[in-house]
Amino acid sequence: MRIKRYSFVIFWLLIIALSALYFTNDFGLVDIHKTAIIAAVGVDVEGEEVQVTAQLAVPKPSQSGENVEYTEVQGSGETIADALNEINAKTGFYPKLQFCKLILLGDSCQKRNIFQVLGCFYRKNYSELTALVAMCKGKASEMLSMPVPTSDMNSTAIQRVLAEELKKSANVSSVSLKDIAVDNFSKSAAVYMPYVEANKQGTSAAGGDGDNVGGEPPQGSQGGSQGESGSQGGGSGESGGGSGGGESGGSGGSGSSGGGGSGGSGGSGESGGGSGGGSSDNAGQSPVEFTARKTAIFSGGEFRGILDERQSFALDLIKNDIRLAVLPCDAGGLHYTLGLKGLGGGSKIKIEDGKPRLTLKFSANAQIAGVKKVVDPDETASDDVLSPEVIEGAKREIEGRFQSLIEVCREKNCDLLGVKNMIFKFDNKNFDEFADSVLGEMKVQYKIDIKSAN
Amino acid sequence: MLIAYTVAARLLQYPTLLSEYSGRDLILSALIDFAVQTVVIWAVAYLCSRTDKTFFGLLEGALGRVAARIIIGLFGAFFILASFVPLYEQKLYVHATFYDTVPSLYVFLPIIFFTIYAGAKSFTNIGRSADICAVIFALSFIFILAMSLSEVDFTNLLPIAKTGAGAIFGGALKSAYRFVEPAYLLMFMGRFEYKKGDAAKITLSYAFGALIVMAFLAIFYGIYADIAPSRQFAISKTSLYFSAIDMIGRVDLIALYALEIVMLFAIVLNLQLAVNCIEECLNIRGAEWLSLAVTAALTATILIFNNHFNNISNFFADWMWIVTVVFATLLPLCAHALPRRKNEN
Repeated sequence: MRIKRYSFVIFWLLIIALSALYFTNDFGLVDIHKTAIIAAVGVDVEGEEVQVTAQLAVPKPSQSGENVEYTEVQGSGETIADALNEINAKTGFYPKLQFCKLILLGDSCQKRNIFQVLGCFYRKNYSELTALVAMCKGKASEMLSMPVPTSDMNSTAIQRVLAEELKKSANVSSVSLKDIAVDNFSKSAAVYMPYVEANKQGTSAAGGDGDNVGGEPPQGSQGGSQGESGSQGGGSGESGGGSGGGESGGSGGSGSSGGGGSGGSGGSGESGGGSGGGSSDNAGQSPVEFTARKTAIFSGGEFRGILDERQSFALDLIKNDIRLAVLPCDAGGLHYTLGLKGLGGGSKIKIEDGKPRLTLKFSANAQIAGVKKVVDPDETASDDVLSPEVIEGAKREIEGRFQSLIEVCREKNCDLLGVKNMIFKFDNKNFDEFADSVLGEMKVQYKIDIKSAN
Repeated sequence: MLIAYTVAARLLQYPTLLSEYSGRDLILSALIDFAVQTVVIWAVAYLCSRTDKTFFGLLEGALGRVAARIIIGLFGAFFILASFVPLYEQKLYVHATFYDTVPSLYVFLPIIFFTIYAGAKSFTNIGRSADICAVIFALSFIFILAMSLSEVDFTNLLPIAKTGAGAIFGGALKSAYRFVEPAYLLMFMGRFEYKKGDAAKITLSYAFGALIVMAFLAIFYGIYADIAPSRQFAISKTSLYFSAIDMIGRVDLIALYALEIVMLFAIVLNLQLAVNCIEECLNIRGAEWLSLAVTAALTATILIFNNHFNNISNFFADWMWIVTVVFATLLPLCAHALPRRKNEN
């Protein structure tokens, strides 16, 4: 009875107490002016240690609307957690990485198993596994401090070239932390991620029919470890020879020229200087643009090489849901640029007569986006319908890219297409027999169907 | 009530732990548990149609007052035990999901207050709150599912039944301690007006809830595949890859907050029943004080074992299934043997 008499008072006291807890974040308020939010991290391997460069968004009180500043802070240690702890000590904010949208691995990470480097992110609830992962040419710390014309924070510019829309047009093989873990711990154990390169703003790579996206290397940066990256690029150029040596050679060439530019190693000292790097350090550098048309590949977590633009395009067609793509091809002595819509396809493996057979299917509706000849308005109206010759040229181009990709998979023993996984899932009784040999033994059948969109 | 609470009680660590025990065959493990419990639910619902007595009344009539009080007291203890892991999970979930920084223990205080308040409420309130929860649950759960489906690869569940009988049955046994619904129904016996066909409705409701849980397990494993065991608090992890989240932020948190309400009521149901059982056992009235005492004991235990969730979870997985089988499977079935008054033929 006594409880009933006071229940009204108790009820309102509880409401007030709960409201206080709720509106004060249970007294766990964070002063926004004393915080820094990690928007991106770059990871480099230095000897036995990892060096983590965090790009921070620092909220600032401002009347002008420019109320966020960006800076880089660096930490290092045996694990990423060690390094983040150092960053925490410098920034005063517990770095839970909930807002981290990009993880950039420097090419020095090629020396280690990536799941040793990234292991910390997969610990329970440390990160939501939604961050995009990419490998970059040179040091990640340098790339994160390069000035870009399109954004205050260059990780935003990097994310722009890894964007979902570009992925849907087969221009980048974007993956998240979750994607690479799911792929790595599958039976195929093969992982891929975009390979980001920085180029001097306003330059472009010659040749390659628009596939050689890139340009001149930026001044005084990406020096130190670029030689390695260059050699990898060369490797990929060789392996891509099947689809057209000249073009693949281009990517190899760009690698070696990068290697030549080793004089710029001084740049690493700049960003390695601890906190507060950021925009002031970039004053002397010319602005850069980023590209991510190449793809770094891994098997069992170990780095295996870099796919050139054409191999990456083929991989995207198989692995991603592509909405619209651009395909350069040659037919009848003319160069055509085709726009592909309504893309479909996929891969399937079957064991027939004791031999594995991989079928790669691809279908699309194509229309001419450009032809290397003088425009004649009378003809343009009627050449919207693709001639059989052009369609054959497009099919040849697609098949060549698929072949080139499969050659790399075989050469590097890297099951990017997920063939072992497919056998495990859909033909489990044959898995043990073919798990080790399927990449070498399988015959590949191409079913490419390109129709005129008009 | 059964649909919303059956699902809401299994959205946090159940999918994570089941994917650890049974791998891609987690649905088969869940199917085993749900199939057994659906039969028991039907048996208890059928018993409800044969008598207008409460479970305590049946026990008292058959075994005498003292034995009835002891058994009902043991049921009270069982409900307290059954609420321990879910309440602990709630604490960790709230800390991990709703806060960006490391929150203090006080963060959990509002939930404790709510538990004390709701735990003291009568059976009538259980029905009313369940009616409200059903709507909240349906809207928020559909919202989360819609945001999750684009990322699911159901082939991650293939090949089926290849992880081995040990993993499948082991997973079913280790998660059996979360299957307490037949004991709920036993406590509701004689406290609602049974209408013709209610047994079928109750059983189908439970089976439908089971289907939703299994669909969610498939979605969770379809998204995370072999890394599912490392993804804690499954319901907060499936909608993360919805493309609009990048642009407009974590809108899924709205649905997660709404689901949190339903999850809390699902947990509190255990405490409401525990309080009721203790009242009958001790033949006292004072639900407010009992609720306070039970919640205080649970909170103190959680604080004592703070940072030992894995050990607690493993202990419950290894041993609590025995208790659950007794109270949520065997005793509900044995209740059929007790003499009844209505429709004795």
